[in-house]
Amino acid sequence: MAHTRPHYGGTLHVETQADPWQAADSIGRRLVFDSLTRVDEPGGVQPALAVRWKEQNGDHRWQFWLRPGVHFHDGSPLTADSVQQSLERSCKQCPWTSVRALGDSVVITTAAPDPVLPQELARSDYAIAAQDATGDAVGTGPFRFVSNANYMLTLAAVDDTWQGRPFVDTIEITGRRVVRTQWLDLAAGHADLVDVPVEGVRLAQQEHLNILQSGNCDLLALTVARSGVLAEDAQREAIALAVDRAALYNAIFQKQGEMTASLLPDALTGYGFLFPVGRDLVRAQGLHEAGGGAPLTLALDDANPTMQLTAERVALNLREAGFRVQVAVRAPNAEASAAAELALRRIHLESADARAALEQMLAAFGQPLTDESGDPATLYRMEASFIETHQVVPLLYLPRSYGVGARVHGLRLSPDGVPLLADVSLEDAK
Amino acid sequence: MNLRQKILLMFSLTVIVAVAAVAWTVSVRVRSLFDSLDRDRTAALVNQFVHEYQRRGDEVAERVDRMTRDERVIRMAYDLGHGGDASMYLTDAGTLAQEYELNYLELVQPDGSIVSSAQWPAHFGYKEQAIGNAGQPFFLKEEILGQDPSETGLFVVRAVPGIESSLYIVAGERLDSAFISNLSTPAGSSLYLYRNSTSGFDASSLTGAGGAIAEAARYAGAINQARASGVQSSARIMAADGESLNLTAIPLKSANGSVIAVLLVANSRKELVEAQQHIRAIAYGVASAGILFAILISLWVAARVSRPVEQLAQAAQDVAAGDWEVQVPVASRDEVGLLAESFNRMTRELVSQRERLVQSERVAAWRELARRLAHELKNPIFPLQLTVENMIRAKQVSPEMFEEVFAEGSAALTEEIANLKAVIGRFSDFSKLPKPQVSDLDLRDVLNRVIRLYQPTLEQREHPIRVVAKLPESPLPVSVDAELMHRAISNLVLNAMDAMPEGGTLSITAARSGGNVRTTVADTGLGMTAEECERLFTPYYTTKQAGTGLGLAIVQSVIADHHGAIVVESHPGSGTAFVIDLPAIGVGSGERT
Repeated sequence: MAHTRPHYGGTLHVETQADPWQAADSIGRRLVFDSLTRVDEPGGVQPALAVRWKEQNGDHRWQFWLRPGVHFHDGSPLTADSVQQSLERSCKQCPWTSVRALGDSVVITTAAPDPVLPQELARSDYAIAAQDATGDAVGTGPFRFVSNANYMLTLAAVDDTWQGRPFVDTIEITGRRVVRTQWLDLAAGHADLVDVPVEGVRLAQQEHLNILQSGNCDLLALTVARSGVLAEDAQREAIALAVDRAALYNAIFQKQGEMTASLLPDALTGYGFLFPVGRDLVRAQGLHEAGGGAPLTLALDDANPTMQLTAERVALNLREAGFRVQVAVRAPNAEASAAAELALRRIHLESADARAALEQMLAAFGQPLTDESGDPATLYRMEASFIETHQVVPLLYLPRSYGVGARVHGLRLSPDGVPLLADVSLEDAK
Repeated sequence: MNLRQKILLMFSLTVIVAVAAVAWTVSVRVRSLFDSLDRDRTAALVNQFVHEYQRRGDEVAERVDRMTRDERVIRMAYDLGHGGDASMYLTDAGTLAQEYELNYLELVQPDGSIVSSAQWPAHFGYKEQAIGNAGQPFFLKEEILGQDPSETGLFVVRAVPGIESSLYIVAGERLDSAFISNLSTPAGSSLYLYRNSTSGFDASSLTGAGGAIAEAARYAGAINQARASGVQSSARIMAADGESLNLTAIPLKSANGSVIAVLLVANSRKELVEAQQHIRAIAYGVASAGILFAILISLWVAARVSRPVEQLAQAAQDVAAGDWEVQVPVASRDEVGLLAESFNRMTRELVSQRERLVQSERVAAWRELARRLAHELKNPIFPLQLTVENMIRAKQVSPEMFEEVFAEGSAALTEEIANLKAVIGRFSDFSKLPKPQVSDLDLRDVLNRVIRLYQPTLEQREHPIRVVAKLPESPLPVSVDAELMHRAISNLVLNAMDAMPEGGTLSITAARSGGNVRTTVADTGLGMTAEECERLFTPYYTTKQAGTGLGLAIVQSVIADHHGAIVVESHPGSGTAFVIDLPAIGVGSGERT
């Protein structure tokens, strides 16, 4: 029994390929900042900083009552005003039109009925943050920010968090770490949690790593600009037909995840199989023959070798269909729309609700969700009509995988594949 | 051009030709030597390249052979041979290529499907045809790398032994500027490699030890020729810096014989050009010195050779001008000295012969004069003798008739004595011909005066002579003695009258002819032979029964005293024409033109 009882204390060493603090859904920010709601493993919406909520006026107006007694890491209390300010700061493509503080609650109004607003508010994009005296963002999460230098992020456990004190005292997250080095550190006991890219899962298994894998939560898709040569529907369709998903799935991603031609995973919607994933090169060549031969650029934001290899393979597929395609890695700060006719994107799906997930995906591609009902048939029609424009060619849905050290206990993954480190305890901690 | 100039020119040309011949010979020889050196350099570089090519090929083969014995590769081949999942080895080629230091490595299944590619990872699943070359030592191959330009490499294909036909290794090393940079090239030589990636010439495909080549298009000719012909070709070009280069392009062929690259050897001709410039400079210097030397030599030669010749030439000109007594100094005993002696002897002989000729001509003239005098005097003397004898006979035989005979005889004697005086007077006139007293006048006046004087007489003869005068409207100004000219023209008219005993036409014409005034007196008489014409102006020569032979001599003398000329044109039976040319003077100015 002793070894199963969690111990408090200790430092959890995490290594990752990504920057641990940069993105809103980064592993570090997910530990420091909370959202008003959260999604549990089955996909249901659970209270977080909001303890309850109520829809009014036909899903146009939502009122969220805040959890009392919650403080930010600088000691300031969580108030309706601070939540209103935080949501307003984070609103870029947000689904609401206004946020208003009302006593110990906030009232969020949307232009269209939004029955899944609580699910959407669970996304890390809408995490609640306040600004301390120095202007830095502070959260209400189980860990507080200590330092971040040279991609070494240090977080310390918060004793009086509303969720209860985490087991570990400190988490050190080293970013920009090469996978092979992470694995060596894991084997040597220098790391407790490391990345296992999906393409390396089988190799990691061969090397007997303890692997924890999420469901399919990352969409790999090819975006096709509706301009220039690709303004013609036939040319975009030729691109969609020319892509060989099977080669990507079987070889590059080592049969991990699933091939998809839909925006959402089949497990979430149940209608994913209706979108054909097969390749029709002859038809693609036939469609392309009628089009022009202007050179195309396939851009990718991630210089990750696997993404580059994927882009090269897609380019090779398209060249077989007759397109002249050149692969280019976009500069980190370049505009997403910068000059490339094609782009390979990896989009993280946070929502576990089909409607919310589709809204997130469409928003990621700059499309609004006009459906109010949220029933599967309507969602399918909406998705199909968007997919038929061939502005986005979904390729694969991929899981997230981690290598877990032997002294780590209680580690679970969120539905969107993020490790829930607040629940982790270390075996040798005292 | 005089002899001295000719000698100078001859010496200069001789020196220039000699120097040019030597310079040309040396230049040709130097060029030949440099060409030979160029060939040697090219051959050495090509040999070095071939050696390096062989060495690298052997190295690649050795590494690939070693790889086929690698446990991982054997395990992979075993796995794939037993239906293993090829995707498991997607990145293995990259790892192995790095480990075995290979630029190209592809793991290929027996059906040609690429399991893993180091140089083009995305190319997995596609076919690789090169496994057909398995077992060859090594070969050249063009490697296509997606969007990047194709590359050329040295390749080796091996099947992993032990597991029959389950895995092939296609590995190679890049043939590029790094390959070239390992070769040591002598100063002035460069080695370039052209990858035959496109149908046309692509400047970016030409690389040297330092990478891309500036102005690579200059080499396009030699490269394209080698690509098209498949055999070694040579060319000469001017490089960007103006340097001349000898190019040798050697085609490099793949296993199937197609040209996939061209090795280009460029040898600088800078040293040759400098040597040729040096030789040319020396040649110019020597030629200049030679010309200076030729001038000095020619001056010296002129002093020794041309001066006696010039003296001889001057003496010859003096002789031609009438100075027959000129002599040249004899300064040597060579051919020029003998020539001078001969010349002096010749002039002495000429003087001697002229004196003898003058003597003989003088005697002949005296004889002719005596003959003519005897003839002229004999005619009147014979009547004188007869008259005197008649008078004597009358005195003796019939005194009664003596008075009558005496009177007749006295009259005859007086007449014949008058004839004698006339004859003597004519001879006296010829000897006393006065110097002309010239004045500017119109020659038409002189001619009209003669015509007016003789025309009635001529036309009233038993056999009349028609006088035709053709004189211009404009004056014919000449500077002559009017009386002498009148006498000369009259002589010609009288001669014409004598030449036409049976009548005829006398034509007198005058006109300007160039700077002269030409007067023609022509008859339609019997004419003369060429011999008669030649002697016509000789004093005392006459074709008439009664004549002193002084008339035309006087005419010629008068014309000559007026700086004119007279010629005769005549043929037997076609009349005779005397043509007189006198210098004309400008109208009103009185100057001769």
